[in-house]
Amino acid sequence: MVRYTVRRLLQAVPLVFGAAVVTWILIHAAPGDPIVALAGEDGDAGYYAMMRERFGLDRPLHEQLFVYLGRLAQGDLGFSYRQNRSAVSVILDQLPATLLLMVPALAVASVIGISVGTLAAARKNSALDNTARTATLLGHAVPVFWLSQVLLLLFALRFDWFPVQGRSDARAGYEGFRALLDVGHHMVLPIAALVTVYVPPIMRVTRAAVIENLDEMYIRAARARGQSRRRVLIRHALPNAMLPIVTVIGSQIGFMFAGSVLVETVFAWPGLGRLLLSAILARDFAIITAMLLMLSVTIILMNLITDLVYSLLDPRVRHGT
Amino acid sequence: MALEGRAAGPVTLRERAASGPGRGRPGRSSARAARGSWRRFASNPVAVVGLVLTVLFVLVAALTSVIAPTDPFSFAGTPFEPPSAKHWLGTDDLGRDVLAGVVHGARTSLLVGVAVAGASLVIGTVVGGVAGFAGGKVDDLLMRLTELSQVLPRFFLALTVVALFGPGLTNMVLVLALTSWELTARVARSGVLAVKELEYVTAAEALGSSPGRNLRTHVLPNTIAPVVALASLQVGGAILIEASLSFLGLGDPNVISWGYMLNNAQSFVRRAWWMSVFPGLAIAVAVLGVNLLGDALNDFWNPRSRSGGESG
Amino acid sequence: MRRLSLIGVILALALLAASCGDDGSDEPISQPAEPAVEASAAESEPASEAPADEPEPAAEPEPAAEESAAEPEPAAEEPAAEAEPAAEEPAAEDSRRGGTLVIALSDDPGHFNPGITTGFNVHAVTGSIFNGLVELDDNANPHPDLAERWDVSDDSTQYTFHLVEGVRWHDGEPMTSADVKFTFENVLLHYHSRTRGGLSGILESIDTPDDTTVVFNFTQPYAALLQRLNSTEAPILPKHIYEGVDDVQTADANLTPVGTGPFKLESYDIDNEITLVRNDDYFKAGLPYLDRVVMRVIPDQNTQVLALEEGEVDYIWRVPGGDIERLSGVDSIVLHGVNSGPGGGFCIPTLTFNSERDVFSDLRVRQAIAHAVNRDQMLAQVIFGQGRVATGPINSQMAFAYSDDVTTYAYDVDRANALLDEAGYASGGTRFTIDLLVFSFGDFPKYGEVMRQNLAEVGIEVEVMPLDRSAFIPRVFGERDFDTNIISYCNNTDPSIGVARMYISSNIGDIPFSNGAAYVNPAIDVLFDEAASTPDVARRGELYGEIQRILTAELPYLWLVETRFTAGSGANVGGLQPNSGHVAETAYFEE
Repeated sequence: MVRYTVRRLLQAVPLVFGAAVVTWILIHAAPGDPIVALAGEDGDAGYYAMMRERFGLDRPLHEQLFVYLGRLAQGDLGFSYRQNRSAVSVILDQLPATLLLMVPALAVASVIGISVGTLAAARKNSALDNTARTATLLGHAVPVFWLSQVLLLLFALRFDWFPVQGRSDARAGYEGFRALLDVGHHMVLPIAALVTVYVPPIMRVTRAAVIENLDEMYIRAARARGQSRRRVLIRHALPNAMLPIVTVIGSQIGFMFAGSVLVETVFAWPGLGRLLLSAILARDFAIITAMLLMLSVTIILMNLITDLVYSLLDPRVRHGT
Repeated sequence: MALEGRAAGPVTLRERAASGPGRGRPGRSSARAARGSWRRFASNPVAVVGLVLTVLFVLVAALTSVIAPTDPFSFAGTPFEPPSAKHWLGTDDLGRDVLAGVVHGARTSLLVGVAVAGASLVIGTVVGGVAGFAGGKVDDLLMRLTELSQVLPRFFLALTVVALFGPGLTNMVLVLALTSWELTARVARSGVLAVKELEYVTAAEALGSSPGRNLRTHVLPNTIAPVVALASLQVGGAILIEASLSFLGLGDPNVISWGYMLNNAQSFVRRAWWMSVFPGLAIAVAVLGVNLLGDALNDFWNPRSRSGGESG
Repeated sequence: MRRLSLIGVILALALLAASCGDDGSDEPISQPAEPAVEASAAESEPASEAPADEPEPAAEPEPAAEESAAEPEPAAEEPAAEAEPAAEEPAAEDSRRGGTLVIALSDDPGHFNPGITTGFNVHAVTGSIFNGLVELDDNANPHPDLAERWDVSDDSTQYTFHLVEGVRWHDGEPMTSADVKFTFENVLLHYHSRTRGGLSGILESIDTPDDTTVVFNFTQPYAALLQRLNSTEAPILPKHIYEGVDDVQTADANLTPVGTGPFKLESYDIDNEITLVRNDDYFKAGLPYLDRVVMRVIPDQNTQVLALEEGEVDYIWRVPGGDIERLSGVDSIVLHGVNSGPGGGFCIPTLTFNSERDVFSDLRVRQAIAHAVNRDQMLAQVIFGQGRVATGPINSQMAFAYSDDVTTYAYDVDRANALLDEAGYASGGTRFTIDLLVFSFGDFPKYGEVMRQNLAEVGIEVEVMPLDRSAFIPRVFGERDFDTNIISYCNNTDPSIGVARMYISSNIGDIPFSNGAAYVNPAIDVLFDEAASTPDVARRGELYGEIQRILTAELPYLWLVETRFTAGSGANVGGLQPNSGHVAETAYFEE
């Protein structure tokens, strides 16, 4: 197991560097000069030259790339000249705000997705199943930013139940428990929007996995031994189906972040979405590359974890290679 | 994406190759298979709904000049006219007809969706096919490349590229295509591998049959159909991403699209609901249609794949 | 395993970031990068409302009637505008005390040093933290701020300011004339682009005979100094903090501002909100009324409007044109016509013809486009009537310099077609294709779309290309790779810089918001020179009139519309000063 893990980790290293190279080149090949964002538009030629030198922008691109990769190897993801500190620390500052939306949304979506998906699988082609599937597909089809706007118009403006923007009430300046409640109040609409896009993949996979597992031989055997259908479902099918669900969360992490960024934009929620957009406008390349790379690394890690979990449960996988 | 979306190491690859993509024996009559699949397909109401919606979507896109012959950018009326007999879906802030925009936007969305799906299909098939045929080092290298394309966050990459290189559908399609062929390549590769294995078994019977003939009778039917089915799932996702980027203000202002209309409508949500409601509905219906259809196709051709369009 | 170390580093950084909180971040020199408020005074700022009770030719340099516009530089402060219900006298009425005012901000400012930038978002915050020597009212008349009174020599070459006694910095140190001298000599004249541009050549010396007296000596008569000494143009910084700092632009002190102003920085949550708390020792007795001011970052203008309507914020700097009509009918909201404050003033979104492109070397083509562009439609549908159609390079509200005796180009498709035929571009189908670069934020793409349709009518195909600021500026002013573009140029207080920069031949090149048309006309160069150094306002008016006549005839640019600009506040907030840097100094909540 340890050897397998180590091998997979080693395999991931070139992948990380590959992603870094692709991202870096794409960003630096683009037109647009960070110097204006960096030094202000009132700078003169001499000042610009000084700033370029200071941030290594005067060197040829391939040299800059090697410098970047060399630093990356030491765990340095770059320096944000806009915020005057390491890009990673800037990103980690904003990450909690984004996770504050994503994690609860994911939890709610999992509960809904798994329970409805399991029920739908148990009664394949029933009215419930068909309704659930249609709803899922609709959830997949509706643009999340549009849905967010609709929610905002209805529940923040028309009914006035929730605030329209932000993470907290700027005026009240609550503290302690009231502050938590206040943040919670601001979270409701963005999370509701996110849940609608997170549920469909989870539900689909749950349903498919449970159906597949229900067909498996041992389940048929179990039923042959006289266990009730419901028992079989809960005892055998669902736990086996958890794996694909883990997989889906792992594989959809990029998609989930994307949804979060769009929702953040509509609700003016300060998080990674805002950071990325403002970094792009300012050509803060370090932030952009670091963010894209961190997303890639997250995806790689999720893949890895999923595979490890698989191999733990199914030794054939491990020894097969 | 879903199940197969994760970067599979060699292990899961092997699994997948073993399970094979298509159903049935590689050599069976494709005509009979087609007939059978159509029956199964037609018996599935979800698939039929998907087909109908997709056909509708394609028809609207194809017949724009008949349904809404005017330039969607032309100032057709006074600004902010609510839906009426003259302008069924109202007009926007510059007096442009929303219906014309929705109709012409269908063409843009379809174009983006099909272009992305088509490009990813070609790239995926070539990479997967070559990897499968060549084996060895080439296979390793290509599959590493495939993994790489999978771990790049496509929405964010597309956003970055479009923001930095300037808005334009071409840029968007390129990035999306370059980040969405992973699954196609894997399926194409395992299809080829399955056929290769089979070749040894049937080597004696097939004595004398040319590589070309092998390709035609064995390889193609077994890889192309599942790969096309997979590609169909890219369409919805691409449409949604295009809309999302346009919504963020990164759309191409020279081409009308639903995302562009929604972005524009943002400033007037309280004044002219019709500006955002109709393009939003259009996206939902179109994506729903192609997803339903893609789903049904994959249920048949790639039973192990449970996928849907998404904006990730 | 290298990756594990990477993860370790990431975790370590996370802890570090968590422990150093706000101090870790700085955004030393960047301009605000956010669409909605991109407006450093150099460009896209809307202007004022109401008839121009302009810089009247003040007879002599009296302290309070000082705005004779003879100065060669623009300041961000603008004269003119309707009377605001703002500026209450700072009487110590305790019934007004208390409350938290929430102001929407379009982007994180990045730092709080107003001396090194003209960026909007920095000044929007620091206007409440720092003071200038004077503050300007809605008509750009100077009033005491740090200086309680001032004398001007008869020839306008020497200004003597008498500072308020006993002013203290937020950290308790006394504020003295040495701070003023230091701020100008070490910061403003180096890093504040407008102050540097305006004063560096002509300000001879600054003397400090005693702690409360500052003397500015000029090499030549300079009549408009007072308009550039407010908290936006010349905020006074603490010498004891910045003295000896290596690099003022990246100093840590820029994140922990120590000012003399009505509010002190309490906390800074990057990209989210900035909290200012009342300065209990403010030198203006009884002020401010508010306990706190919170600047909340809300990037999207529409969301800002919704938040204002819902009472989640109390003040927004810019109300989009499309919302004005609707909001003017909402009782809970008050709209303010605004012409100055942290942004620029007197702005004219302008179409630039790249004179280096063959097609535009023909005057008839430029004229044809001028006739083909429907500027009335732009006025009505892009800025929703918030302004007027421009007639030329100078904003009509700059009364002393504006002339309407110019060549005008009415919307006339037939005339445009005839001109194009004459120029040899055959009609029928597409005559030629041009690109049109616009900023990707605000109203700019909309101008582009209207223009594209307008020009399609006369057979010119326009490809609109929206670019963000970082791509736009180098492409237009550096590479000069464009046929046409639209930029909002702001006149600011005086045409000598706000206008001249677009036309004088010495200003062609890689300078943002310079002579983008690459227009060269020696006669124009001479006229602008003469107008800038002529003290007599009437004579200057004549010179600018001549300039306008020449430019509208030669048409190096097409001036689209004059934009006006509106701020919005909750109706329960009184005493706001939208035209001043100190927007919240006298603000209070009504019962």
